[in-house]
Amino acid sequence: MFTHKILTTAGGLAVLGLFGLFAGDSVAEDASAADYSAMTPQELADHLIIEKAGFRLNEKAQEGGTTQDRLTQDGIQKACSALGKRSIDSTTASKVTSIARESIKLPEGGIKLGDWSKGEAVARSGYGFRIGHRNDNHSKRNPGGNCYACHALAPDEFTYGTLGPSLTGYGKQRGNSDAILKYTYEVIYNAHTYFPCTAMPRFGHNGVLTQQQISDVMAYLLDPKSPVNK
Amino acid sequence: MFKRILFAIPIVLTMPGTLSADSYKAPEDVLKGLIEKVDSKYLTQSEQNLMMMADNPAYWTAEDGEALFYLKRGPNNASLETCDFGKGPGVLEGAYVEMPRYFEDTGKVMDLETRLVHCMTTIQGFPKDDPAVKKRHGSGSDMMKLQTFIAGKSSGYPWNPPLNHPVEKTMRDAGKVLFYRRAGNMDFSCNTCHGATNKRIRASVLPNINVPEEWTKAISWPAFRVGHDNVRSSQHRVRGCYWQMRQGRVEAGSDASIALILYWTDAARGQPAILPDMKR
Repeated sequence: MFTHKILTTAGGLAVLGLFGLFAGDSVAEDASAADYSAMTPQELADHLIIEKAGFRLNEKAQEGGTTQDRLTQDGIQKACSALGKRSIDSTTASKVTSIARESIKLPEGGIKLGDWSKGEAVARSGYGFRIGHRNDNHSKRNPGGNCYACHALAPDEFTYGTLGPSLTGYGKQRGNSDAILKYTYEVIYNAHTYFPCTAMPRFGHNGVLTQQQISDVMAYLLDPKSPVNK
Repeated sequence: MFKRILFAIPIVLTMPGTLSADSYKAPEDVLKGLIEKVDSKYLTQSEQNLMMMADNPAYWTAEDGEALFYLKRGPNNASLETCDFGKGPGVLEGAYVEMPRYFEDTGKVMDLETRLVHCMTTIQGFPKDDPAVKKRHGSGSDMMKLQTFIAGKSSGYPWNPPLNHPVEKTMRDAGKVLFYRRAGNMDFSCNTCHGATNKRIRASVLPNINVPEEWTKAISWPAFRVGHDNVRSSQHRVRGCYWQMRQGRVEAGSDASIALILYWTDAARGQPAILPDMKR
């Protein structure tokens, strides 16, 4: 991950260096049309983000690092972006699932169900990690998981999204055996393990949710007393 | 109500001469035509908005923009009548649906907003930090007033960005890469929300880039956003999407933003623009 980021930045500096050598900064600006046509679409997209500073790259992100770090892709992001509108092929699928499987870190002391009512708050909240303007302040309010943006959960909540499958009755249908606990944890931690190039964020791997929050969300899904299972 | 009559007069007057497909059509009529053509929950999700379109508050913004456009102002005491939006100086009818496009005088692909900034700084002589050019958002800004007026002259015209110049194609292709580019700690791309039909985030139905009849509404900015109580631009939409995707702030008028806007405009090619639109 770190090596990859350094390589990308070094590549960017090399391109900037070339512009400086041949043209000088202001001329490079004017000659951009010709330079753009010499690049592949992929190269130009990255060039517009980083070298042309299409974003405010130096702004700080809540997790540490900057906007530039957020915009720098890792292996799964690259592989899944390259698909464009095509559906996934078997080579990409096996590559992505194997990267995802290696990323899984199980909680120390085993997988346990937390407090479903705290999990419900996490499922409802879309707060967190927004930067650039109206930055989310994590010291005032914890980030959420925004599960309802994409999933139906409790049957009495009607403003649920449909990008993901309905999870209403999740625990009632599946029970809470060790196998189901492990599977549910892994899907929340890094869903690409089972669904390569899924739209679902990697809540554990990317540090969006804490281990405690994951265990609370799991209780919301699996605890028989949770509204999801009523 | 009298707004509707005001806007209806020019149509009636020009009707006999302009029987081609490329002519002004009121935004609510464009939308009705699309709804009759395709079954789309995105197009029909707000009955209230459909009813209110004829009295869209954006018409007031456009009217202010018209006055501003012809007003001699700025250090050079000049109007914007000599500004070339791609179809010749001062030609506004159907100009916006052919943007972003390459401009010889700047050597750049420009969208409506960057072109306006260019004309206001060069023709009218406004300094770049003058509020007239610097303030990009809100119905009260000169920028939104002018954009809403100019874009409104393209309502009903089919989206048709030229793509004749090689750099227009290159920028469109880079815009496509950006559209599908997953990044950030949520791994989102534009395609996460805009790649399928009749999907929702919470209660909001999302437009699908692969259905041009849906997509033309999605990209029809400026639009009055009821929830914001303000007219918003394409650039504002790009900024908002990247903010929601947790990918940081895109620079207003950056080539990255223009590449993305060019790709999304090309994806609506041939479909009539709804200008100004009204959105949730």
